[in-house]
Amino acid sequence: MISFTVNGCVVTPSKNQKLLRFLRDELHLLAAKDGCSEGACGACTVLINGNACKSCVPDTDSLQGKSVITVEGLTAWETKVYSFAYAEAGAVQCGFCIPGMVMCTKALLDKNPDPTDSEICYALRNNYCRCTGYVKIIAAVKLAAKITREGRIPEKGADDWKLGARVQRLDAEEKVLGTGKYPDDYYLDGMLYGSALRSKYPRARVLSIDTSAAKALPGVVAVLTAEDIPGENKIGHLKHDQYTLIPPGGLTHFLGDAIALVAAENCETVEKAKKLIRVEYEILPAVHNIQEAAASDAPKVFDEEKDNICAYKHISRGNAAEAIQQAKHVISHHFETPWTEHAFLEPECAVSYIDEDGDMFIYSTDQSAHQTLHECRLLLGTDKIKVQNALVGGGFGGKEDMTVQHHAALITYLTKRPVKVKLSRAESLLIHPKRHHFEMDFTMGCDENGIIQGVKATVASDTGAFASLGGPVLERACTHAAGPYTYQNFEIEGTAYYTNNPPAGAFRGFGVTQTCFVTETLLNMMADEVGISPWEIRYRNAIRPWGVLPNGQIVDDSTGLVETLMAVKPEYDAAIAAGKPAGLGCAMKNAGVGVGIPDTGRVKLIVEPDKKVHIYAGASCIGQGLGTVLVQMVVTNTDLQHEEIVYERSNTWISPDSGTTSGSRQTLVTGEACRRACEKFMEDRKKGKNLNDMVGCFYYGEYLAKTDPLGADVPNPVSHVAYGYATQLCILDSKTGKIEKVVAAHDVGKAVNPLSCEGQIEGGVVMSIGYALRERYPIDKNCKPIEKYGSLGLFRAHEVPEIEAIVIDKPGLKVACGAIGIGEITSIPTAPAIADAYFRYDHERRYSLPLVHTPYERKDGSW
Amino acid sequence: MVMKKKFPYRAALVACNGGCRANQEEAKCTYGCSGCRACASACKFGAISINSYGVAEVAEEKCIACGMCVRVCPQQLIHIHECANYIVVKCSNHDKGADARKECQVSCIGCGICERTCTASAVHIRDNCAVIDETYCLSCGMCLVKCPRHVMQDLRGIFTSGH
Repeated sequence: MISFTVNGCVVTPSKNQKLLRFLRDELHLLAAKDGCSEGACGACTVLINGNACKSCVPDTDSLQGKSVITVEGLTAWETKVYSFAYAEAGAVQCGFCIPGMVMCTKALLDKNPDPTDSEICYALRNNYCRCTGYVKIIAAVKLAAKITREGRIPEKGADDWKLGARVQRLDAEEKVLGTGKYPDDYYLDGMLYGSALRSKYPRARVLSIDTSAAKALPGVVAVLTAEDIPGENKIGHLKHDQYTLIPPGGLTHFLGDAIALVAAENCETVEKAKKLIRVEYEILPAVHNIQEAAASDAPKVFDEEKDNICAYKHISRGNAAEAIQQAKHVISHHFETPWTEHAFLEPECAVSYIDEDGDMFIYSTDQSAHQTLHECRLLLGTDKIKVQNALVGGGFGGKEDMTVQHHAALITYLTKRPVKVKLSRAESLLIHPKRHHFEMDFTMGCDENGIIQGVKATVASDTGAFASLGGPVLERACTHAAGPYTYQNFEIEGTAYYTNNPPAGAFRGFGVTQTCFVTETLLNMMADEVGISPWEIRYRNAIRPWGVLPNGQIVDDSTGLVETLMAVKPEYDAAIAAGKPAGLGCAMKNAGVGVGIPDTGRVKLIVEPDKKVHIYAGASCIGQGLGTVLVQMVVTNTDLQHEEIVYERSNTWISPDSGTTSGSRQTLVTGEACRRACEKFMEDRKKGKNLNDMVGCFYYGEYLAKTDPLGADVPNPVSHVAYGYATQLCILDSKTGKIEKVVAAHDVGKAVNPLSCEGQIEGGVVMSIGYALRERYPIDKNCKPIEKYGSLGLFRAHEVPEIEAIVIDKPGLKVACGAIGIGEITSIPTAPAIADAYFRYDHERRYSLPLVHTPYERKDGSW
Repeated sequence: MVMKKKFPYRAALVACNGGCRANQEEAKCTYGCSGCRACASACKFGAISINSYGVAEVAEEKCIACGMCVRVCPQQLIHIHECANYIVVKCSNHDKGADARKECQVSCIGCGICERTCTASAVHIRDNCAVIDETYCLSCGMCLVKCPRHVMQDLRGIFTSGH
């Protein structure tokens, strides 16, 4: 019999298994998170004999006599130190990587109480974080070391919860200590495990499905196919084009299509049963790329469509062709950007059960609980559904679509049993929609002073197997291709093609990461042609308050592009003077979905029997810190202290629908709704009521971010209620060719919490350093993604350069106390800035991403 | 002699586990460490000793990665690596699997389980023997626990192969 100690207690596993499974499933020590179970992510890191180890790796049989420490086994002092340090440094966003990072911190500090920066980076480098860019985690380790040495927890840096205060996030402690629950942390009595059998071929017709052998396997509770679905089989974020389960006769669209759902008493039985399902296919030729999809004799991805075109956009204002013809300088080129995987740390997971009201109750990790409700309602044909957001371990756009929620709901609906459906990391890489691969041809014309005269472009995207958000992403790619400049001749034609690749959809930047790379690169080339600096050409063309954007919108006082340019100028000039290669990129990004789509924020403030004001908003916090933002909004707009306010995670039965966490919209849209609810609350307060009198009262705020649709017949349409602006500067080390520093200046209107804001910037920049230099998502001949989580090319802690986040407050926006928000724009101008820096370094102009011939390129030939 | 070491620390690594001496069969590995002590004699820091299997072993805390042992090893099986990468390949046998299997109990037979297992694409079979590219290795040890031949070793001594 094998025995070892866990947090000082002797334990004996019931069978040989991975240590992570034993900790979570048998001991219910849930701080170690299951992010991949393949040794990559590090979220399951524990200490074994004092060394940081990924607990998904060792078998329990190999641990005889060893000592395992998890976050639960930290001393009371250590929990205080790490909670404080991580919260104060702003190191916690989605939080899924944090318990692993904490254990790495302990392993380091136990041996080395005063580590250097590079020693800290090395201690963290086998663990991935996708939110923070590691910057603030490294700061947290430094702070924890200092506190440990001094033996005293300092005062908090900020305790005034008003707008602009760098307060510690509300959810930091539960995420540091691993007590906060993600869906995978729910273990319900009698809970089944569910998983889907996926299609063997990207494009095939399912002829028959035989589940009899799988059903006969002991431990299997249900094997479901399309005929078991009570409501609509097809669901989808906007267009309902995705079979929940492919019926016989149905066409598969990609390798992630589910054909049957298995529910069993344990995971091993589920996997065995999946192998027993016999599916007959008629294998059909697949569509692999844009060219194949566009061919006149192309196989059709959808039976019901007339061709493979998912969306087509044509936007034109002024006369681009004529303006370019008359321009003194004209540059034309073809550009390409790759598929990108979100690589959020928490794989998709949902837990569902029938609650005491007889309703379907779903714990979900998603970007909108109401969207999950809507799609599950369609699938089950019933309204008796409740969705509760658990903690969300990162989204970045990749959790807007249904992946597991509807499967869990279906199993529970039909078996009446609780169930957990969780994607393996390999499934997650295959299934959730990715960032689109784009192929783009642009022509830009400028006059002799570098003033843009016109831009004309054609772009095509591979939107993969489903519509998902392929249409809106294409639209945003097209509308924002013009850049944050003022000129009046712009024409773009965009087409999104269906293929049998994994679906592409929302991803931080929403199409703009792609077209911005092109526009900004052209502008850098144009600066050389005109003979002015890349900074100067931007300064000359920059949109300024009350200027007119190429889409016709007149921008307001909050427009701060010039301020961001000025903010990076000293460092840009110094780098140039020192002979260092430096590159610039600018960007604008809408806050709110805009273009006439109903976009409503809704918040309910309820005074509950605990005499506190509870904030209910049907808006997901996916790690960005929405709860803290809303509490700061309430503190600023009422006479309450933050201790009197409770933020409730989004749900669908009390929290009013406040839209998807998408389009960098929650701070502005839900923030303004919250402010309006506060106004009503204060009306009662001014009548002299105290919280005791107000118990049971609620105050509802709603804000419709009203915009004009694309092509609206008005001279100056309002496409979006607000835009954020940014300039990023990349400086290379002229000797090594590695990035020395990235300076990211962002105009955010009003930074609600500058600490969180910096965290967003650093995380977004590092994400796009990966996009620019290394991240890939290659797809093979069978339309299967090749890479695993650890080989996607994500940046690691020791590889991240210095990042200086400059947060610029610029008043002018009339709603949400001037807060525009951030989120997506942080990832947009990074790639072109880096690309130009490399051009200045070696005079090779690169037109596709990831950039070739850099020290970051993978050289071992495995790609 | 004490020298100040620069982070990230590097040290010499002997890519041989010494299994062939433990297994006294007629076929003998021609790639492995012969215990000739050339490295140990060349090391000015007393960092190399011959272990109980009769093969050279480096005490990383004493090693300054000067590379002297690398140069003198007649078998060319010592290389410099970064100490932070504690999951290492301890074999240099380049014979085909069937032969390599006969020659040593703990030889790499080039089966490729490690390569397929590695999440980071950091392990590859090169010339019938596993090689870890430390630039990409995440030091998880998954290759080690899956290796049927005990080829990988955790220099910290935490992970041991379960086979």
